[in-house]
Amino acid sequence: MILRHLVFALALSAPFVAHAASWRADPKSSTLDFSGIYQGDVFDGHFKTFDAAIVFDPAQLAASRFDVKITLASTDTANSERDDSLRGADFFDTAHMPVATYTATHFRSLGGNRYAADGTLSLRGISKPVTLTFAWAAGPTPALVGDAQLNRLDFKVGGGQWADTSMIGNAVKVHTALKLVAATPAANSVRK
Amino acid sequence: MSIVAPVRWNRFAQLLHWLIALLIIGLGIVGLWMTSMTPSIDKINIYLLHKSFGITVLMLVGLRLVWRLATRHPAEMPGLAWQRWSASIVHFALYVMMFVMPLSGWLFNSASNFPLHWFGLVKLPALWGPDPTVKFWALQVHEYGFWTLAALVGLHSAAALKHHYFDRDETLRRMLPGMPPPSKGDQP
Repeated sequence: MILRHLVFALALSAPFVAHAASWRADPKSSTLDFSGIYQGDVFDGHFKTFDAAIVFDPAQLAASRFDVKITLASTDTANSERDDSLRGADFFDTAHMPVATYTATHFRSLGGNRYAADGTLSLRGISKPVTLTFAWAAGPTPALVGDAQLNRLDFKVGGGQWADTSMIGNAVKVHTALKLVAATPAANSVRK
Repeated sequence: MSIVAPVRWNRFAQLLHWLIALLIIGLGIVGLWMTSMTPSIDKINIYLLHKSFGITVLMLVGLRLVWRLATRHPAEMPGLAWQRWSASIVHFALYVMMFVMPLSGWLFNSASNFPLHWFGLVKLPALWGPDPTVKFWALQVHEYGFWTLAALVGLHSAAALKHHYFDRDETLRRMLPGMPPPSKGDQP
């Protein structure tokens, strides 16, 4: 009970501590793409469903925070056989771990409108640091365009017989373009 | 160049005929079996070989058609009119299907958005972009085409064996390598 009161008090005080604006990616005009290598060829895919809660202010990097939830079953590589494989137990294992999360609380300025988020990606129950470098275009509906690179085998995506990187490359590039709309405090608390 | 048509298929035509026959039979057997495999690296490699040998057949059939049109080939065997007609129809249909099978497979592969590397050596372009409708129809053509081709091969083989064992003529022997020239009496 005491803990609950404490959490409640912290939640109430949070807006007064951090003044960084709160945004949410507009699902209709935001994209989360990835590309990998299959049999030596690049293939492109994207996630149709993801939720990005962005608290960001270039003047208050310490108060900024990204919380992204990716519905892995929404993967689409324009190849139904490959999409089925990706959802399967050897890859994303969406039956057991349907959501991947990316959380960032540490930000660096790279000069100009470019920044780096040193965040953590949790995928298949494995959490590893992943840095997202992005350009921030301020405005009433800010735009965030960022890139990251990760190794699929760090997260055991395609382990076992699929670990052969001559068949499926280890490096996966991620590209995201978010169009942000103001998030109401209510929406933030619902999302938790 | 002799005015009289040769009595036997030349060696290159024989080589192409039997090589393509061997590849088609192998592709058919592997093709029937591979679709039931559970997804694995082995399955991918079997598919890669199926695709690569299929493209090989396409190239060999193209070469064979050019060879057939550009060089003299043996005259038709004498026989009843309906037999000559049906042989011509089956031969024509075999050529058509030998193009339809690899091309529909290639189209199916392209519309499925898989890459195509001929034996891992040469990257072949996609015939079509990712497209579920084209993918569906290409697979229909590939599957029904297989049974059509299998029926044609059956008819073709049965007719060749019938000529060899019942009519005891040169039909099969003139396509067999290493056979002596036919005797005078057998010539058309």
